[in-house]
Amino acid sequence: MTDYRAPLQDMQFLLYDVFGIEQEWQQLAGMEELNRELADALLEEAARLTETLIAPLSRPGDEAGVRFEAGRVFTPPGFVEAWKTYRAGGWIGFAGDPAYGGQGMPRSLTLMVEEMMHSASNAFCMYSILTSGLALALKSHGSDALKSRFLPLLYSGECAGAMCLTEAHSGTDLGLLRTRAEPAANDTYRITGTKIFITGGEQDLTDNILYLVLARLPDAPEGSAGISMFLVPKRHLNDDNTPAGANGVSCGSVEHKMGIHASSTCVIHFDNAEGWLVGTLNNGLKAMFTMMNYERLSVGLQGLACSELAYQKSAAYARDRLQSRAPAGAVNPEQAADPILAQPDVRRMLLTQRALIEAGRAFALYAGMQLDRARYGKEDNKPRARQLAALLTPVGKAFLSDRGLECCLEGQMVFGGHGYIREWGMEQLVRDARIAQIYEGTNGIQALDFIKRRVQANRGEHVGWVISDMRAFVAAHQHNLNDYAAMLSASVDRLESVTAHIVKAGEADANAGPAAAVDYLAQFGYVLYGWMWARLLVAANAHDDAEGRYCLFRRQLADVYFKRLLPRAEMHAQAVESGANSLMAPSMDAF
Amino acid sequence: MSHYKAPLRDMQFVSHELLDMPSHYASLPGYEDVTVDVMDAIIEEGRKFSEEVLAPINHSADEEGCHLKDGNVTTPKGYPEAYKQYVEGGWPGLNGDPEFGGQGLPGSLSIMINEMTGACNWAWTMYPGLSNAAIQCIGKHGTVEQKDIYMEKLITGTWTGSMCLTEAHCGSDVGLLRTKAVKQADGSYTLTGSKIFISGADHDMAENIVHMVLARVEGAPEGTAGISLFIVPKFIPDAKGNVGKRNAANVSSLEKKMGLKGSATCVLNFDGATGFIVGAENSGLKQMFTMMNVARVGTALQGLAMAEPAYQAALNYAKERLAMRSLTGAKNPAGAADPIIVHPDVRRMLMTQKAFTEGYRAFLYWLIQKADVVAKGDEAAAKEADDLMAFLTPIAKGFVTETGFECTNLALQCFGGHGYIKEHGVEQLVRDCRISTVYEGTTGIQALDLIGRKVLGSGGELLKKFTKLVHKLCEASKNDAQLSGLATVLAEKNKEWGALTMDVGGKAMENADEVGAASVDYLMYSGYVVLGYFWLLMAHKASEQLASGNGDADFYKAKLATAQFYFDRLLPRTLMHAAAMRSGSANLMALDADHFAF
Repeated sequence: MTDYRAPLQDMQFLLYDVFGIEQEWQQLAGMEELNRELADALLEEAARLTETLIAPLSRPGDEAGVRFEAGRVFTPPGFVEAWKTYRAGGWIGFAGDPAYGGQGMPRSLTLMVEEMMHSASNAFCMYSILTSGLALALKSHGSDALKSRFLPLLYSGECAGAMCLTEAHSGTDLGLLRTRAEPAANDTYRITGTKIFITGGEQDLTDNILYLVLARLPDAPEGSAGISMFLVPKRHLNDDNTPAGANGVSCGSVEHKMGIHASSTCVIHFDNAEGWLVGTLNNGLKAMFTMMNYERLSVGLQGLACSELAYQKSAAYARDRLQSRAPAGAVNPEQAADPILAQPDVRRMLLTQRALIEAGRAFALYAGMQLDRARYGKEDNKPRARQLAALLTPVGKAFLSDRGLECCLEGQMVFGGHGYIREWGMEQLVRDARIAQIYEGTNGIQALDFIKRRVQANRGEHVGWVISDMRAFVAAHQHNLNDYAAMLSASVDRLESVTAHIVKAGEADANAGPAAAVDYLAQFGYVLYGWMWARLLVAANAHDDAEGRYCLFRRQLADVYFKRLLPRAEMHAQAVESGANSLMAPSMDAF
Repeated sequence: MSHYKAPLRDMQFVSHELLDMPSHYASLPGYEDVTVDVMDAIIEEGRKFSEEVLAPINHSADEEGCHLKDGNVTTPKGYPEAYKQYVEGGWPGLNGDPEFGGQGLPGSLSIMINEMTGACNWAWTMYPGLSNAAIQCIGKHGTVEQKDIYMEKLITGTWTGSMCLTEAHCGSDVGLLRTKAVKQADGSYTLTGSKIFISGADHDMAENIVHMVLARVEGAPEGTAGISLFIVPKFIPDAKGNVGKRNAANVSSLEKKMGLKGSATCVLNFDGATGFIVGAENSGLKQMFTMMNVARVGTALQGLAMAEPAYQAALNYAKERLAMRSLTGAKNPAGAADPIIVHPDVRRMLMTQKAFTEGYRAFLYWLIQKADVVAKGDEAAAKEADDLMAFLTPIAKGFVTETGFECTNLALQCFGGHGYIKEHGVEQLVRDCRISTVYEGTTGIQALDLIGRKVLGSGGELLKKFTKLVHKLCEASKNDAQLSGLATVLAEKNKEWGALTMDVGGKAMENADEVGAASVDYLMYSGYVVLGYFWLLMAHKASEQLASGNGDADFYKAKLATAQFYFDRLLPRTLMHAAAMRSGSANLMALDADHFAF
């Protein structure tokens, strides 16, 4: 079995050669100290940790799963020890506020580390990613008292976090939720209700767990306008923050899932549990979403991370597995058959994965840079960066996770029947990657957010910014892009016309946008991946070792992308243009 | 859990109205008695058995899996009892030769039954399904004695069969296999070797298992030319077919798989096992391939059989689950929210599933109708049907399973987070369905067969036989106001199909890699056009029925709406496949293998 190897060279090529990240960091408040030397050291350490500590947990963790016993959850063997090492490394607070013990690293760097973590073990990293996410929400919306008390506990991994939104009858539509919060003494609240699908809701890695809970005050308005956010510990805390008695929080059961078996997915009951308000009353959903906007990219990265490992394993298998002869003549005549890598269709599967992975990583970095500019950049640049980040985030979540599953399936197919057998780990990647299309808002919900709030709401203006940037890039690098310049330009033109079409159609018919949403998002994704490949190509051509193996392979991948994958944008464009009628005309009974 | 209801109305639409099976049967010797009433009665019994006996043990079997103890496999709870009922109901011999206890009914009728049993429990359906291959091989190539011993036992389901091809180092490339056969003085052979991925190589449902094994006789030529086919029974029968001593063919382990957990996937070791050759030495692969078309249509059926219950589950959920309001005003004002079926994107997912699923049904029933003609038609008709089948079978297998798997994933997506949880059963359909794109030859292998052997190998003749049918249908639809739009689009795709074929064929003469570089995109392109043909055909029939005032108008209107959806939203996928094909092999083959390191 092939072990995971962190794709450091690819990451460094993107950071330094494609995006000139050092200069970017220079422009960010608080990041002036960050340079290539430090970043490389951190990336190498993350690579070492993920390859040696976390990756070995993945297969056994899938087989063992979490164990539920009398209200307690036990993670698979090795998780407790690994968590200790992991948290000691300061990785949970990697992006955290330095004022409270965080490392203060920008999104452009943390996303590389996150990718490695998820490649190594999606399930293990869920415990950490939820903790970081909760810390971020608390940092953005919590009072000083809550922040100074709890952020250090979260950053250090002494406490883990869990986000409690979903209830049995309310998932996508959180306005329906029923969990109640009653005001109590000392500015506290008493929370009562049942939440489902709570990742890391119970585990044995930490002595205490902090929950961020969405709930409704008795007199709150109905719907999403009446939701508030509370911080609730599993156990009360002593003055030194060590855990004390139980706080009315219990785990009712764990779900049996398709994948991420080692990540606990819990039903959590709150029975008059004590908590503190985070942010202001009835503002909970908005507060939760500011955090989720930042974190949604993480879910896209999970898809990317699974793809990277799927590629590594399937490429290795294709080199080793001897089967049939190459169509154009034996390449391995001294043996009974040629490696299947000699088969064009096997190469198609591998290169499709690789072309999507590298564009996906570039896209994530591009989106991460906007998030950094929005948070740490120069004031003048912040509004635009914020809008761009909002535009790119749903695409980063949905398109990366959709392509993630596609890549895992291609990787699995390279293995033939062996890919269906558990021991090779390929089918696990498919099962683990599948959830990324669902949680943090299904990809359909992402597409609705994208088309409604990010495109139609500003009449395509923000997409127009990206279109201008792409055109400027093509104009500046025309000579360097050969035939691809025309292909990319044509796809950008189509994006522009389809955007105009959908903005206009939306004015006449409320269903027009939603009916087009998923296809429009995919069209946008493929065109932007085209831009990413143009940027990779330009960087490869300008590289010191432009004729070397590494750059040669990038040029080949660009060719695959432009000729084989970018054409997909057009089929999505046509689906958008086909309108809402074929979806909405049939009566309910016609189904 | 399973809410599956056999889609009888749509099955009847395809079978009785679209394909006019009753007249088709009336025209074939031996099938004349299969009237509409006979068909409906059999289908009704099949429905009951599927829904009442098989569906309840599907999810539990996934949880439980199979067990191996002391070389014996135990199937999940309820499997042996269900098999007993299946045998008692006479199902195994439905289309078996009456000479050996079969009922001699058409193969097309079996496919309809298998759609229902498979939809309720594909893992279970694998066990009796595997007997078919053995029946076909022995029936066609076995000696009189072999037929006397094995045929009746297999056809009545007293025994089951298994197919033993794959070895650890050889899957797609069967020519590499090493299992050895040594001829004995009594004419039997002694087999030594190990086979993997053998479905149903052992179980607790029948008194004997007949393994059909590919092996190499000592001194045989290398590669595929040196492969022979053997019958290796688990218990060696005497001349009367009474089971005798235990043969040295033993299961050493079971694979742990992504899905299909109720089906035992075995490593089967032959340690000097006694085998009986079928036909002549070194002709094994050819014999095995005689039953490949039917087996592959059977696997294509899995795409339909998984997509249908997934669609039904997603549809039920979409009608019940309340979330958000419709964008054009509340549709369920009394409730806290509207059912999610009002949302356009949920409809996109549902319509995609519906358009594929109903399209597959028309395609596969039509295809298996051709198999009836191959079996019973006159020589000219049989040849014509066989040619069409040869061409369309790899498309059916590759395309229906690939997009059928997509359908199961879309159904899961309709459930949101609940789809990822085991209790709803949809994630099981995803896992179970995935194997259909892999076994009986992966999609890549189907694609090579299609473009290499069938299309280029026939100089485009086989393709032309089908594109002619498409052309005729498009011409016939030209003057129908409702259908002419669809016909125009389909006619263009049909033309492009030929042009793409010429293009790949031309390039392939210069460079052998061009075939493989285009193959899967070619197969998928073909699949979308083929389904376009069947949607136009169905639209035709629906429009005709509407005009004549027959039956339920809403049903036919839904057919027309779904046809429109298919042409609007799914057929445009041909674009990307065409572009990928045209891009040629250079972008795949230019680099040496070391570049794929990381």
